Amino acid sequence: MHSRCDLSCDHCYVYQHADQTWRGRPVRMPLATVRAVAQRIAEHAREHELPVVHVVLHGGEPLLLGAAGLREVLAELRAAITPWTRLDLRMQTNGVLLDEELCRLFVEYDVRVGVSLDGDRAANDRHRVFAHGGSSHDHVRRALALLRRPEHRASYAGILCTIDVRNDPDRVYEALLAESPPRVDLLLPHATWDHPPERPGPEPTPYADWLGRIHRRWVDDGRPMSIRMFEALRPGGGGTEAFGLAPADVLVVEADGSWEQVDSLKTAYHGAAGTGFDVFDHSVDEATRHPGVAVRQDGVAGLCATCRACPVVDRCGGGLYAHRWRTGSGFDNPSVYCADLLRLIDTVDAYPPPTPPASGELSTISPVDELLDDLATGHGSASTLALLAATQLSITRALLAACRDGSGTTPAWELLVHLDQAAPEAIRAVLAHPFVRPGLVHRLHSSAPPGVGAAVDPLPALAIAAALRAGVPAALHVPVRADTITFPALGSLVLPGLGESAEVTVRPGEFQVRGGSVEQTVLLDPVAQPSTGWFPTRDVSVPGGRLLLEDGDPYRDCYGQPVEPRLDGPAARALGRTLAEAWRVVHRDVPAHAAALDGGLRAVVPLAADPARPLRSATARHAFGAVAVTPHSDPETMAVLLVHEWQHAKLGAVLDLYDLVESGQAAQIRVPWRPDPRPPEGVLQGVYAHLAITQVWQSRAATDQGDASANAAHFLAWTRDGADALLASRSLTAAGERFVGQLRHALEETRAGAG
Amino acid sequence: MDNAPTRPSRPGLDDLTHSLDIPLERIAVEHADLVEAIRRRVVEGGPVPSGTVPVALFNSAI
Ligand code: SF4
Ligand code: SF4
Repeated sequence: MHSRCDLSCDHCYVYQHADQTWRGRPVRMPLATVRAVAQRIAEHAREHELPVVHVVLHGGEPLLLGAAGLREVLAELRAAITPWTRLDLRMQTNGVLLDEELCRLFVEYDVRVGVSLDGDRAANDRHRVFAHGGSSHDHVRRALALLRRPEHRASYAGILCTIDVRNDPDRVYEALLAESPPRVDLLLPHATWDHPPERPGPEPTPYADWLGRIHRRWVDDGRPMSIRMFEALRPGGGGTEAFGLAPADVLVVEADGSWEQVDSLKTAYHGAAGTGFDVFDHSVDEATRHPGVAVRQDGVAGLCATCRACPVVDRCGGGLYAHRWRTGSGFDNPSVYCADLLRLIDTVDAYPPPTPPASGELSTISPVDELLDDLATGHGSASTLALLAATQLSITRALLAACRDGSGTTPAWELLVHLDQAAPEAIRAVLAHPFVRPGLVHRLHSSAPPGVGAAVDPLPALAIAAALRAGVPAALHVPVRADTITFPALGSLVLPGLGESAEVTVRPGEFQVRGGSVEQTVLLDPVAQPSTGWFPTRDVSVPGGRLLLEDGDPYRDCYGQPVEPRLDGPAARALGRTLAEAWRVVHRDVPAHAAALDGGLRAVVPLAADPARPLRSATARHAFGAVAVTPHSDPETMAVLLVHEWQHAKLGAVLDLYDLVESGQAAQIRVPWRPDPRPPEGVLQGVYAHLAITQVWQSRAATDQGDASANAAHFLAWTRDGADALLASRSLTAAGERFVGQLRHALEETRAGAG
Repeated sequence: MDNAPTRPSRPGLDDLTHSLDIPLERIAVEHADLVEAIRRRVVEGGPVPSGTVPVALFNSAI
């Protein structure tokens, strides 16, 4: 935005490093250029239907634009881009000029601000000084204090800290923690093989040692703030540009409107980041076709031979692109920090938390390997299931918060917040319903691009459902869809003439609805005849508790195939009997799988009958805790379907957390259970389900039931061949390889056990 | 200018279990990055690699 700066940091790559192109550029980006950038971004978002675009305003120092100048820029960006996609606006600043007026502006335009601070006063002032040599420390701390104020806190993104191993890591850590940042980015100083980083002492890996010290403090303190570097380096945690193999999807626009690659490349050589394209004549697509950008979409294949063969490449990803530069071989080298990175990954691995900081039932959190190893047995222990269910609930809560972000504070949100404090169990029970997340995802999806009919706001119905559970009096307007209001996990009210929105009042033991031409009181007495129009969600008692027969919630329609409308009484009772009996069959055949089922399956959705395919079942990634089946009367068959689908549900929850399949893999794998080659994730899901089914048939074979042995052999072969094909495909991440390797091992044991 | 990584990392196990103990009201502010990461990974499917399985329909997708 502004190519000059009020500080004069000696580690700054803009002014102090090889690339000196800033000298030929305008001081500030003219408004016409801002407009052109905004149009290009909007055009790109529209053409590719991007759900979100991240824009980071930086410089030099963007605050040199002043409040009025920044307001123009922000207004321009929001006006051009927001109609087409969600615009995530951020700014990186040295904080010196930040004041209340600017903070208010950032809150108004929803800009999240990151501030650079290198640690305690001594550390910070080692580099971050004014041109006259004066300290910037007090200025920066004042800026952070402003951002911490409750009214500005939403705009506080975090701190960017460039490390210098001559600083005291403990003091740096304490100084950062004292600013209570939502997130800290620790940056290795810019360096290349031509200009290696300073290594002041005799130690070979001073950066790893320095960071290792901070890591230990951080873990000991219970990880009181998010430190991106450590999170990114965890197994399966890769995901910032500095580490890991996620494709580079960042382009930079200079003040004169030229497109450039990530600007840390400026550290490499003069003009290194240039593409020769600009926003006036070239689209985003044209700029990304520049070979320097394209090679960085290639994952492992785009790295040098050393990195490709490195055991931790999926976490390190060869380090920051710019750090690989060496005159002669270009970027085809490991990072100049390679030795430090290797050692740091070791350090991070070797220092897991002695006891996890969470409370209550979550105190048995397993690290990733423990979790994956446990699930690779085929089933997974009760504590693993509890952990998966907890992470799923946490995801749903975050989605709820994201919905609030979109629509601001509403009475429904306030009621949810109140009940979260006053009746947390009721909130938990409602949010754990499998079809809450599909509703929230639908809402978040449709709120971004215009034109798509906005989904109804799911929050009022959630809040009322929680109030009903808690028995807390409340009143809200709830949207009505096709004469129906559904309260998740409780039931649906169908009253013709309700209109588009109805006022729902919760009283002890009942609720009242008023909307359109209708007024109705619904009694919640479970033994009495339901009130007119009220269809309570039915449930059936199973060994794991109460299993819902979910045939009313509109968001149950997430399986890519038609769901059955509400079952009549006899059909529901028949399905309930079959499910309860099937559950007992699972306990009889494979008690370990039954325990996993007990730990998480909460609802079954009837799929629409189709005479051509009478036996179907499905799982949806967004609906953990539920499976869908065609109503079927044979419990032995139903038991197999339940076990099979529950495998998918568990693995889906894991895939929310970790990448087991390498991203960007177009590989298709031949599998024994289908004629056409399949994508790796599909094969992984297939192998995991078939492992469980092998175990079911092996158990049945032991009591000699007809063709059980033949079925067991058949599924065993499928599982084994599928697992071997996956391992041979090289499409798995390190975590994925470990998982499938363990699973393969479990299979051998299964076979041995079967004699 | 410092080089700010722009891509939110994936939701971590620790962040997720921590945030369960945070009142709803404060999640959006104090865990804004987590919310962003989840939004990106769960709602938008993240930087979705080609060849992944659609969210539904595992049975015909395996
Ligand atoms: S640790 Fe070294 S060799 Fe391994 S991926 Fe990183 S830079 Fe490459
Ligand atoms: S504040 Fe940022 S842009 Fe300014 S001199 Fe320092 S590092 Fe460079």
